[in-house]
Amino acid sequence: MGLGRTLLIRGLSLLLVVFAVLLMVVIVLGATGVSDKILKAYVGEELRQIRQELSQRIRDPQELEKALEAYKLDLERAFGLDKPWYFRLPDMVRRVLLLDLGTSRTITSFSGSNKVSDIILERIPNTVILVTVAVVLSALVGISAGVKIATRVGSLLDRITSYFSAVSYALPSWWTGIIFILIFSFYFRLLPPGGMYSTPPPQEPLARLLDLMLHAVLPVLTLMAAILGGWIYVSRTIVLNVAQEDFVSAARAKGLPERIVMRRYILRASTPPILTNIVFGIAGSLGGAILTETVFRWPGMGLLYYEAITAFDEPLIIALTFIFTLIYAAARFILEILYVSLDPRVRY
Amino acid sequence: MSETSREAWRVFWSSNISKLGINLLAILVIVSLYVVFTYPLDFGLKYWNNPAHWVDYPKGVPPEWAKYFTSENVTEHRIYTLYVPSESRFVEAAGLYIKRYVITFDYQYDEFPSFLSFTVFNVTFNREPPIIFLEISRPDGVSARIYTLAVPGPQEGEKKPYMRYSETPFRVFLSGDPSVAQQLSRMLKRDFDISLTPTEINTIGPEKILFGEPDTGKNFTILKGVYRVDVVLASSDEKDSVGYVRFVVAGNVYGWVGTDSLGRDLAVGLLFGFPVALLIGVVTTTLTTAVGATAGIISGYVGGKTDDIIQRIADVINNIPLLPILIFLIFVLKPSIWLIVFLLVAFGWPGLTIIVRSMVLQLRTSQLVEAEVALGASKWRIMFRHIFPQIAPFIFAQMIFATPTAILAEAALSFLGLGDPSLPTWGQILNYGFRDGGVYVGYWWWIVPPGLLIVLTAITFVFLALGLEPVVNPRLRRFK
Repeated sequence: MGLGRTLLIRGLSLLLVVFAVLLMVVIVLGATGVSDKILKAYVGEELRQIRQELSQRIRDPQELEKALEAYKLDLERAFGLDKPWYFRLPDMVRRVLLLDLGTSRTITSFSGSNKVSDIILERIPNTVILVTVAVVLSALVGISAGVKIATRVGSLLDRITSYFSAVSYALPSWWTGIIFILIFSFYFRLLPPGGMYSTPPPQEPLARLLDLMLHAVLPVLTLMAAILGGWIYVSRTIVLNVAQEDFVSAARAKGLPERIVMRRYILRASTPPILTNIVFGIAGSLGGAILTETVFRWPGMGLLYYEAITAFDEPLIIALTFIFTLIYAAARFILEILYVSLDPRVRY
Repeated sequence: MSETSREAWRVFWSSNISKLGINLLAILVIVSLYVVFTYPLDFGLKYWNNPAHWVDYPKGVPPEWAKYFTSENVTEHRIYTLYVPSESRFVEAAGLYIKRYVITFDYQYDEFPSFLSFTVFNVTFNREPPIIFLEISRPDGVSARIYTLAVPGPQEGEKKPYMRYSETPFRVFLSGDPSVAQQLSRMLKRDFDISLTPTEINTIGPEKILFGEPDTGKNFTILKGVYRVDVVLASSDEKDSVGYVRFVVAGNVYGWVGTDSLGRDLAVGLLFGFPVALLIGVVTTTLTTAVGATAGIISGYVGGKTDDIIQRIADVINNIPLLPILIFLIFVLKPSIWLIVFLLVAFGWPGLTIIVRSMVLQLRTSQLVEAEVALGASKWRIMFRHIFPQIAPFIFAQMIFATPTAILAEAALSFLGLGDPSLPTWGQILNYGFRDGGVYVGYWWWIVPPGLLIVLTAITFVFLALGLEPVVNPRLRRFK
């Protein structure tokens, strides 16, 4: 039983999650009649094109209507609109999987296309950049701070961190973001209040990168504020628990220097649970990204969610929900690989 | 049992953080009870989300106490409502009954009012339709009749007494009304020898002309002193009456928390948020804990296929990214508070189930349970009479610890525009503030208080949970 098998099992269970979400989305859409609405919009769009073509050939208005009626019935049969929604489930699953959900109502991609897949695909990188930077930074700061504090339990720093993590748990990150805008952008005019680039964006690559970083400071800080406190606290507690284990006392009793006890005995044993904690933190960060992007008008999928809610754009919301789940599962899987390779015990 | 619970309480109460938590909780509960008993049930739809209710409030102004941070004496909002006339008499020569409503006030502020409005409610007459005049006398002796309202006469077939403006009051926004501007143009010509067209007056603002002295050119400086506003009802019958007259001198500050861009008194909306937040937090976590703990105990004790199925479902739900799914479902199924609570429960129980199961697995092999089985106790009896009490303190602590999550989740959904429109919440107030661009123009009183209240409510439960930790997990006690 090797690495491959373990990863296969984890991969399959994540696929099951994606499939469960997919099924739930499609069933809810069918049962509420939203899928009918989307397909009918499709049919209407096609009919409009057919009408244009037909009106070139058929002059008699009555004939035209008759021909169109026939086309309409054909199309409705082809889309399964003549049958109840549950017969259409497989077809709907295929549509969501391929993001074949027609066109958005008002929102367009940066290049002007209003195909759902175009709009979403170009936004994915923006979200991934934001979340990755925030998670990596939080992990670095959180773990190192947690380990450091675990060596000084009960100190002032330890108590401050405990309070900070308690506050961080109760703090809505998006509101923190709004306060950041109020302070750093409105009062001190230090940082831009939102967006990814200035308008117009700088042309030179280096200036462009700098501009991007300047715009990313507040959103990244906001995302970090939401997760950092918890991560420090959890890392501290895990290290502390490991430090109380008998094998650590045994190592100390052997007279090993504290540095080696820390690195070889405590930290190595603490890494897997800390990593587990981070794996679960990803879900929170993705959720946080939806809100943070909204607050800072960061043109990723999260902001798109908000725009779609405001514009009542169903196809976009469906596609976004699916893509978010997919990205989440992918991120989880990458971390699973890391996890399995770090902790030999889980290779059952 | 009572000995252990007294001991548990002693441990809980010995930490300052628990005391802080209990005190904050008491405040939250008291405010919530106050709101539940004093607010109407349809507050959201009838008042909060009804712009007509807020017309006479200043728009987007800071709280009153903000004026202590500026050197100027900022205009406070004044609403004068009179129900009984100050003076009634009969003018023989004209054959008219005159009812006079007099409002006097000392205007000592350094700023002009932000607007003026005049409202008449429920005019009742019996013969000829009455006429209502609005006159203003200024501290410098100048006075002007700035508005005349000719009440519409009886229609054919209408019965006495004739009622006007009895359902919706008649309101005139004096700062912007063309006839008011015309009257002011006449007043300026007559008393100050200044020619300004009504259009020019409306660009300067009629309230600046009424409450100011002409400076050079088209500038007006504030005129401080005692103003007198007379509302005169001239009617042909003694029984003719007016429900009330109202004159509003709109300020640049309002109330405890200020107003939003629709003029809504934010203090009123924020107060309403207390019971809603507590309700969502408490109901959601109680249900989540009940479902999660029950599933966990059954899964752990019964084992076998039941265990497999419960764990499989819990694993899948636990791995679904919560916020996107919540957004999707609430968007498609239309926002309502019960849907939000239901979904938070439906997706929130697996975490507890997984932990409780592992605890039950340990307890199942204990001697106590073995003895129970030997005595012939039923599965249910063992699960809920013997296993449950042992893990109950832990479950209770988990319940408290999960409350902030529910409160924050609802706030986040409301902020995204998916809140229940019939119940204003802190998240919704922030949503309006954000959507309206309140952040970018520095409306701090609109942005900061709702967020602080969310934090306060959430942190109350965090404190309680931290206080409970040493009770539930004795291993932590030695680090105190």
